[in-house]
Amino acid sequence: MNEEQIKKLLLAVGIVFIVVFFLFPFGWMVIVSFSASPDFLIKGNLSFTLSNYKDILSIRSLHFLNYLKNSLIISGIAALSSALIGALAAYAISRFKFAGKMLIVLGVLALSMFPQISIVGYLYKFMTRLRLINTYSALIFPYIAYSLPLALWILLSYFSRIPLEIDRAAQVDGASRLQILRKVILPIALPGFVSAVLLLFMFSFNEFLFALMLTTDFRARTVPVGIALFQGLHGEIPWGYIMSASVVSTIPVILIALLAQRYIIQGLTGGAVKE
Amino acid sequence: MNKDFRDTIIFLSPLLLFVSLFMLFPVLGTFWLSLWRDVAFLPRKFVGLANYLRLFKDTQFWQSMIFTLIFSLISVAIEMVLGIIVALVINERFHLRGAIRGISLLPWAIPAIIGARIWQLIYRYDYGLANYLLGSVSGVSINWLGTSGGAMFSLILADVWRTTPFVAIIILAGLQSVPEELYKQARVDGANLFQRFVKVTLPSIKPVVIVALLFRTIDALRVFDIIYVITGGGPGGATTSLSLHSYKYFLLGDFGYGSTISFVLFIIAFALALLYIRLGRFREIAL
Repeated sequence: MNEEQIKKLLLAVGIVFIVVFFLFPFGWMVIVSFSASPDFLIKGNLSFTLSNYKDILSIRSLHFLNYLKNSLIISGIAALSSALIGALAAYAISRFKFAGKMLIVLGVLALSMFPQISIVGYLYKFMTRLRLINTYSALIFPYIAYSLPLALWILLSYFSRIPLEIDRAAQVDGASRLQILRKVILPIALPGFVSAVLLLFMFSFNEFLFALMLTTDFRARTVPVGIALFQGLHGEIPWGYIMSASVVSTIPVILIALLAQRYIIQGLTGGAVKE
Repeated sequence: MNKDFRDTIIFLSPLLLFVSLFMLFPVLGTFWLSLWRDVAFLPRKFVGLANYLRLFKDTQFWQSMIFTLIFSLISVAIEMVLGIIVALVINERFHLRGAIRGISLLPWAIPAIIGARIWQLIYRYDYGLANYLLGSVSGVSINWLGTSGGAMFSLILADVWRTTPFVAIIILAGLQSVPEELYKQARVDGANLFQRFVKVTLPSIKPVVIVALLFRTIDALRVFDIIYVITGGGPGGATTSLSLHSYKYFLLGDFGYGSTISFVLFIIAFALALLYIRLGRFREIAL
């Protein structure tokens, strides 16, 4: 075997590994979600059914649709707000000269590594005092703050690659800084902005600990908490419900990951991965 | 110039307001709470560092500390190796590369809780897939979540599955910045595939690997979600991470001691974050 063939062989092995290792749990999730009972491996009673899906979508006491709605609204609002606030800050940092710039950038970066657990205890007390426990606000505000470092990091890497001459030209035409950001910089950095919004959405959609502590029931509870706390009507873990709920709630994220993988990878690496 | 100064303040203040109110302030608040006896149904009382002294007698705290460190060390090590391999694969040009890159994102893109639920079912002793596959090959069944070693292994595997994609993406960026000329030169010098990897690729991606390593270590130290679902900290507290240990006190209404544990975790994470920032290459981007 020559070197080219060895390389091709290794590549093929690698691709098979990625597909099998990364995908088989998803396959298992789908199979269990469509089967009448989860113990078919030992009982051999594998039979296809849609009842898990019908139940989670129609039995109101399971509250799955509430969780999904809460998650979509909370993550959507948090992602957009965080991207907009991040864009304002990234504009200032990439455009203006001021003292303490490095301190702000590095400080915000350090914040992103704070363990959630060392924030959530005090946040719980804070939200209780404001009577916000179990409301959308209890999650939206912390999610915006917790995802801002990521928003700033992504947008800064895009904005700082846009030449300052563009701003100056627009200023000569009498545009204000806010107008320049809105009408010139954001359109140029649109791929970056899209990456940011998608990643920030996933970030909030997937968050668990804040949602676990700061919500108490279906009025504000999100999908991850719902799925972690799913109880069967008779005490047994309702695997059929859990897996069908998982399939339904991962569809938006899987679509984003597959269709927009280029944007997500660019966003995560500050645009370093080109295609 | 004056106008620019005004704009700077206006543009930065929403960010500063949010991170101060909902991150910086709560961390300071956590430290403040850790100085108090703050237990449900008891009067609040300032106790100074008494909660920190309590840590020394708390055997579960030390067990959690050791578990968290071992878990982080092993899972991050495996993730780095697998992450480099996956990155090498998705950096090559081949048919359907986009699809394979998309697949490589999936475990990381979905909620950790959902991944954890799937693994929890796979590990089930009676009708889980792991024992079914093992049983049909060897006839043996393993109590994956019932022994401390098995539970550790199970959690590490689930974590490796979920976070290898993230490592791979970060390292992919590093691979793309390796100049093609270096490989050409190495070929001219007669280096084979493996030698080119060791002599050209590895040294070139070292900075990115260090960044990914530190970032993942900090993230692994705060592990909570997958443990909450898969083992609940068991058996007998063997897999109770520091985050989970702290959470259990919050759940009991003991905010003083819960805050103490979580503040210790914060100090560890913060020390690593400072190291990360020193080593990271953020200066070029920011200025």
